[in-house]
Amino acid sequence: MMAATLMQTDVPTPEDSDSSKKVWPGRWSHINKILDRRGPFCDKSFSPGHGEDILLNQCRVLVIGAGGLGCEILKNLALSGFKDIEVIDMDTIDVSNLNRQFLFRPADVGSPKAKVAAEFIMKRVAGVKVSYYHGKIQDKDDDYYLGFHLIICGLDSVEARRWINATLVNIAQDDPERIRVLIDGGTEGFKGQARVIIPTVTSCYECSLDMLNKQTAFPICTIANTPRLPEHCIEWASVIQWPKEREGEKMDTDDPTHIQWLYDVALKRAMEFNITGVTYSLTQGVVKNIIPAIASTNAIIAAACCNEAFKIVTTSQPYLNNYMMYIGNEGVYTYTFEHQKKDDCPVCGNQSAFLDVDKEITVEDFIELLKEKPTIQLKKPSLTTDTNEKIYWQSPPFFEQRTRPNLEKRLSELVKDSGTIIVTDSTLPISLNVTVSYV
Amino acid sequence: MNIDKKTQKYDRQLRLWQASGQAALENSKVCLINGTATGCEILKDLVLPGIGSFTVVDKKEVDGADAGISFFLDEDRIGTNRAQAVTELLQELNEDVRGFYLAEDPISLIENRLDYFLQFTIVIATDIPEKPLLKLSEALWNANIPLFIVRTIGFIGYFRIVQPEHTVVETHPDSIMDLRLDVPFPALEQYAKTFDFDSMDNMDHGHIPYVVILLKYLDQWKKDHDGKLPCTSAEKKQFKQIIESGRRNVDEENFAEALANAWRAFTATKVPHQVQEIFNDPACETLTANSSSFWILARAIRDFVANEGQGLLPLAGSVPDMKADTSTYVSLQTIYRQKAKAEIAIVRSHVNKILNSIGRTSDFIHDDEIDSFCKHAAFIQVIRYRSLKEEYISDPKKADIDRWLQDPQDNIVHYVLIRAIDKFYEANNRYPDAATFFIEGDPEEATEESKSEFELLKTYVNILLSEWQITNIPDHLDDYIHEICRAGGSELPNMASLLGGLVSQEVIKLITRQYIPLNNTSIFDGIKSASSTYIL
Ligand SMILES: [Zn+2]
Repeated sequence: MMAATLMQTDVPTPEDSDSSKKVWPGRWSHINKILDRRGPFCDKSFSPGHGEDILLNQCRVLVIGAGGLGCEILKNLALSGFKDIEVIDMDTIDVSNLNRQFLFRPADVGSPKAKVAAEFIMKRVAGVKVSYYHGKIQDKDDDYYLGFHLIICGLDSVEARRWINATLVNIAQDDPERIRVLIDGGTEGFKGQARVIIPTVTSCYECSLDMLNKQTAFPICTIANTPRLPEHCIEWASVIQWPKEREGEKMDTDDPTHIQWLYDVALKRAMEFNITGVTYSLTQGVVKNIIPAIASTNAIIAAACCNEAFKIVTTSQPYLNNYMMYIGNEGVYTYTFEHQKKDDCPVCGNQSAFLDVDKEITVEDFIELLKEKPTIQLKKPSLTTDTNEKIYWQSPPFFEQRTRPNLEKRLSELVKDSGTIIVTDSTLPISLNVTVSYV
Repeated sequence: MNIDKKTQKYDRQLRLWQASGQAALENSKVCLINGTATGCEILKDLVLPGIGSFTVVDKKEVDGADAGISFFLDEDRIGTNRAQAVTELLQELNEDVRGFYLAEDPISLIENRLDYFLQFTIVIATDIPEKPLLKLSEALWNANIPLFIVRTIGFIGYFRIVQPEHTVVETHPDSIMDLRLDVPFPALEQYAKTFDFDSMDNMDHGHIPYVVILLKYLDQWKKDHDGKLPCTSAEKKQFKQIIESGRRNVDEENFAEALANAWRAFTATKVPHQVQEIFNDPACETLTANSSSFWILARAIRDFVANEGQGLLPLAGSVPDMKADTSTYVSLQTIYRQKAKAEIAIVRSHVNKILNSIGRTSDFIHDDEIDSFCKHAAFIQVIRYRSLKEEYISDPKKADIDRWLQDPQDNIVHYVLIRAIDKFYEANNRYPDAATFFIEGDPEEATEESKSEFELLKTYVNILLSEWQITNIPDHLDDYIHEICRAGGSELPNMASLLGGLVSQEVIKLITRQYIPLNNTSIFDGIKSASSTYIL
């Protein structure tokens, strides 16, 4: 698909604000060298001399996330000449954000990230309009997302990414006019990735779900009976002792007194078992599932994402097809490749996934299987047969109660061999066809 | 216990480089030459994690173009000194970092007061022509101060690290596995013997640690095979079958772990090649009063290996998690840890002997340094860099460049162009800057002027290639000449930020002496979104 066609959409153009008077002599001279001149690698549709005036002024971009990546993305977009930006983030600023989220200062702790970030960018970069929404991406409907040309994600949550990806693929289904390019960035310590997703055309986020590092989950029997690691003691404190000793009280992992309590309990257990290594910091890391994050990696990945946005919008260079992996702990390493679309992707594929299952498997165990399988990883799967019989529905409660007895039944009693099951999930706008073979 | 504000603020990075790395950062003094957009982005990513101080050296007056691309400038600062302006706005990022500036011309500083730069931990040079760069790099090289040379032009980013040597102990390998299954030490061997598999109930049998399972079956195997380990693939397969036959049921995860880790038992424990090379290094052979603690420790380890270690490195002393009950696992951990402790004590005595022989007191090297060195002994790294003089003048990598350049996908073409525009700059005091590539329908067409810009840059490319005796000039070079004429020396905010991230990351590695840094050149192509590393 040509880059130009990606941008020929019917998004309303932003009204011309007072931005014209904010152009001082030479302001865009660096960027205009690229936009006023053709290069040998440009898209054929590139039109020299129009970039800054037409494309950048007529492009609405949505930035999802105003954290480590989001702050960088907003800055880069504003400096690259994007004039109409919106940012969504549901979080408020925490002191541990300050080592990389450079739009925030100690006095901002507790304020909404989206608001502070938007205001800072508008204060520093003249003539750019940044609107914000402090809330969840799930609050917004299809029309809202259709109102942007481009969506850039700088999220740390897999769930939110799966949601926006599935939403944009659904919107684009059957109508290429409704394709909205999604650029996704993610980091973890010294590693990260930037990718360009053209819904229904390229592979999507869900296509690559099995590339995620699986989180280490400790078996409950180890935690309860044979702890060996400091992590086991911390899990014991939070999973077993908290509900027992502080029944009814909700654990707040942002409350230092709660972390302190967990640390004390874990430390006591560790001492009992001669286990070393329980610290306050580790306790916090385990219960909050903290991912290390630094300014450098965020800068690299956010810049890679915004560079793609700039190239796509201006057609001044070819854009990334479609994945750049970055690894920075041993020298500087990138791997750029085309991630392949999966025919049986639950979001963008049109083929059924085939699963071999034990002929004795119960519905309940089958649901566990769907949760565990790296390519599927659903939180709350509901199952329906292809003849529209409910096997098990997680919600609403009325259907849950009615279908619950099926959990103990063998799957083969409800679905014949080579039969297809429609799997849906209330937390994600997806529907997956699974064809089972009994072995 | 209460966590202080600073620990809270730096929590997400302390998990990567711990308090020791943070302390090194907080003691560092970073110098940036020229407050370019790229330079400011580098400093941003260093001020945020909390370096001690930064100093910007720049005489330029901020113009409209500077203010347009840098987040650390704005319209109001047009006409003021760039060093001062960016220092003020960078300083805001972190109250724990001190910012300084010197509104002087860096090139005349290099000419006249070269010593000025010797006060810094690291110097980062952006936008400095070849000649003064060579002079600066030599002075820093002699003083053992790392220099970063950074360029962004259009969609291309380039940086080079110049310093004589970098040594790393804490390389942060994915895992440190040192189980000694093939050569168990007496305490470990004895411990394994205390397990009588057959008499155990199912509960206990399912909790024998896999280390013990492997040791037990290996011991039996050695008895049956003249003391030899499984060697051929048939033998390895047979060994695994023996383990499998000892498994009481498929649910025994510990046996599954033993099977999955059986290969470790077949792999001989030995000093890794790169560590052997470090032992053979003249810096390890001949120690002086000026030797760094790294080399003194490397020598002490070498002496340990040659004597008490009987050919092996000191034991790392850590045990990975494995299926086991608590007391068994803790006992196993204790056995490894005690052995490691005993060996650390021996290494300490070697260290003291060496320190004494070179006229230093034993407190020159602390116990925790020895602990860490012994733990990471199999992963230590020494990187010797090439000097800029070698790269530019005395020993350019002609053959390598020639070979890389023949591949149209290789990023080395950008290096050739960056070096060529430096030559262009030296002769014309400006960068190539014109539209030179046109197709039908473009509003403008090629003019004599634009054609001559292309030809002029091509002349410098050809001079460079002939200096390197590269005669086979590939066709794809022309495209990149067009592209760099188009870029006209511009800095794009995205590329500035991307390079800022890459360079700051490497600066942090050098300052903290953790993780493995780049050797020695990185090029990022923002057209393809791909980077390459070269030793130039
Ligand atoms: Zn997909």
